[in-house]
Amino acid sequence: MSIESFNRLVKLAARAFYDDITTKGDNQPKSGRSDNRGIAVVILDALTRRQWVREEDLAKDLKLHTKQLRRTLRFFEEEKLITRDHRKEGAKGAKVYNSAVAATVDGLQNGKEGDDKIKMHTHSYCCLDYAQIYDVVRYRLHRMKKKLRDELDNKNTVQEYICPNCAKRYTALDALRLVSTEDEYFHCESCNGELVAESDKLASQGSTDGDDNDRRRRREKLEDMLHRVEAQLKPLMDQLARVKDLPAPEFGSLQAWEVRANAVARGANGDNGNDSKSGQGLGFGGTPMPFVGETKVEVAFSGLEEKGDIKSEVSVTPMKVLPPWMIKEGMNLTKEQRGEVKQESNMEGTSAAAGSSDDKKSIGFEDVKNIQDEYIKAYYEALFKRQKEQEEATKLLPETSTTDGVYNPSTERQVGMKSKREEEDEGEDVEWEEAPPAGNTTTGNLKVDLNVQADASEDDNDEEDDIDWEEG
Amino acid sequence: MFFHIVLERNMQLHPRHFGRDLREKLVSKLMKDVEGTCSGRHGFIVAITGIESVGKGLIRDGTGFVTFPVKYQCVVFRPFKGEILEAVVTMVNKMGFFAEAGPVQIFVSNHLIPDDMEFQSGDVPNYTTSDGSVKIQKESEVRLKIIGTRVDATEIFCIGTIKDDFLGVISDPGTNA
Repeated sequence: MSIESFNRLVKLAARAFYDDITTKGDNQPKSGRSDNRGIAVVILDALTRRQWVREEDLAKDLKLHTKQLRRTLRFFEEEKLITRDHRKEGAKGAKVYNSAVAATVDGLQNGKEGDDKIKMHTHSYCCLDYAQIYDVVRYRLHRMKKKLRDELDNKNTVQEYICPNCAKRYTALDALRLVSTEDEYFHCESCNGELVAESDKLASQGSTDGDDNDRRRRREKLEDMLHRVEAQLKPLMDQLARVKDLPAPEFGSLQAWEVRANAVARGANGDNGNDSKSGQGLGFGGTPMPFVGETKVEVAFSGLEEKGDIKSEVSVTPMKVLPPWMIKEGMNLTKEQRGEVKQESNMEGTSAAAGSSDDKKSIGFEDVKNIQDEYIKAYYEALFKRQKEQEEATKLLPETSTTDGVYNPSTERQVGMKSKREEEDEGEDVEWEEAPPAGNTTTGNLKVDLNVQADASEDDNDEEDDIDWEEG
Repeated sequence: MFFHIVLERNMQLHPRHFGRDLREKLVSKLMKDVEGTCSGRHGFIVAITGIESVGKGLIRDGTGFVTFPVKYQCVVFRPFKGEILEAVVTMVNKMGFFAEAGPVQIFVSNHLIPDDMEFQSGDVPNYTTSDGSVKIQKESEVRLKIIGTRVDATEIFCIGTIKDDFLGVISDPGTNA
C-alpha cells in the first residue's frame, strides 16, 4: 500500500529534519516550559493519519493551541510539505466537510454537530502533499550531500576572503585587485587590512587559517560528516527508494476531496445517506443518482489508495446493490410505462423471483413435463378446432384480417412480456399455456388467440395500476 | 577559446593622412587601436587578419576628421568556465598563484592546489610536493582548468584549479635550468 510507505517517509523525514524545529521566535527566551521542539514531528505524524483536516479540529485533537499549530503549519507550508486551503464558509460548508471527514476518518469526528451554529468564518484546512514531500526530501538530501562533497574536494568553489577589520568580503575573482606589492598577502581595498581566506562554514572553526594542518583537519571533518550523513539518513534514503515507483497518494484540492469523499460515503452507505431526499421522492428518476455516485468512487480509487477499509466496504456494497439494478434494467425494456410498479416489485421480486423460479423448476420438473405433454395434446386439438373456425370466419368476414394487423404489434410485445413474467409470476399454468404458442407462432390464428389472452392480462394489470394511482 | 570573427569599428582619421596611402594608414591605426584590447562580449582581440570592407568616409564638421566604418576579420580569445588552458605562472604567494594564458590572467587559490603541495616561502616562493618532485614557481608552465570567470566591459579575469586529473605543472624551469 503506497500510502503506508509514504507515511513512513513523512515520519522519517519529520524525525530527521524537523526534530528540533521550534516555532517560538528567537527573541523569546526558551525556558523548559515553552520549549516546543518536537511538536513539528507530532503534527506531521498526526497529518499522516488524516487527509484534509480543518486546522481547528487538528488543534483540538492534538490539544494544541490553534496559534501554535498555525505557526507550525505555516512553516510546513513554506517547507512545501503540506498544502493549505482557506475559505470562508458557514454551517453548510462545514457540514460538507464534516460529512467528508466522517466518510474518510472513522472515529475522528468528535461532536461536530455543535458546529452548525457557525456563521461565515474563514476556516483553514491542511493536508500533506505526498508527491511534493517526496521531491522536497530528495532535493534536501541532494543539496546536503552536494554541499559536503563540494567542500570536500573543493570543486567549483570560489574561495572567499574576508577583511578582519572591516568585514568586507571578496572572492578569488577579485584577487588581481587585492594583491599588493609589499608582501604576499591580499589587502583590503578600503582599509588595507590583511585579508584572510574565509574558512568553511561547516568545518574548521576557530583555527588559524590557510594552515596545511588545518586543511587536512577540515578535510577529515568533512569526510566524517559525509559518512555520518550517509549512515544516519540511510533509512530515509531507503524509504525514498522504496517509494520511488509508487504513485503518490493524491487528495486533490479541498473541494475535490470533499466531493469525492462524500461520494465514497454514499457508495458505502448503499445510497441511503445523502441521497435519501432525491432518491425517495423521485422514485423512478432517482435511480440514476446512486449510479453517478458510484462511478465517482471508481475515480477516487485510481488516485487514492487510501484506507483499505473504506475501499473494501465500497467495493463490496456495489456488488450487493448492483444485481437488482441489472434485473431492473432488463425489466425496463418491456415495462417502461410502469416505473412505480417496477421499483416495488424489484425489491421483493429480485431475490425471491430469481430463487423461487429456479426452485420451482427443479422441484416440479418431472410433473411439469407430464403436464406439458398432456397440455400440448389438448392444445393442438383446440388449435385445430380453432383453425377450422378461423378459416370459416375468414371466408365469411374479410374484416378480421384487419383486426389481425392491429393485434400484431402487441403480440411482439407479448413475447417480451413472457420472458419477464417467467421470473415473476407464481402461476405456472398460465405460463405454460403461453409458452408453447410462442414456439409455434407460425400459424397466424395463434396470434389472435394469444392476443386475446394477453390483452386480458394487461387489462388486469392496468386496472390494478389505476386503482393504485387513485389511492395515491 | 579562439574565434575568427568579423567585427566593425568606426575609425576616425586625421586629415593629414589623406593621400595616396590613406588605406594603409587606416589599417595600421586600426591595428594599433584594436589589437590587445578586450571586450566583455568577444574577449581579447588577438590579431587582425584582414579588412573586409571600408565604408564611405564622413567628414566631421569643425574638425575635418573623417569617420570610416571598417569591417575587419580578427582572431579573438575568450576564456570559458570549464575550459582547460596552459598558462605561465607569474606570481606565487601564500594565497595561491597567478598565471597568464596569453592576455588573460588567472588566479589559482591555495585551496585549489592539490593538498599534497605545500607553500614554501623564501627567495623563490613556490608550491612543492612533499617529495620535492613537483614544484610550482614563477615561470612554471601549468595546465589548469578555469572554474570561474569575471567578465567586465573591458576586462576578463579567471580563477582556475589544478586540483584535478591531468592538471598541474607541464614543464618545470627549475629542473630544466
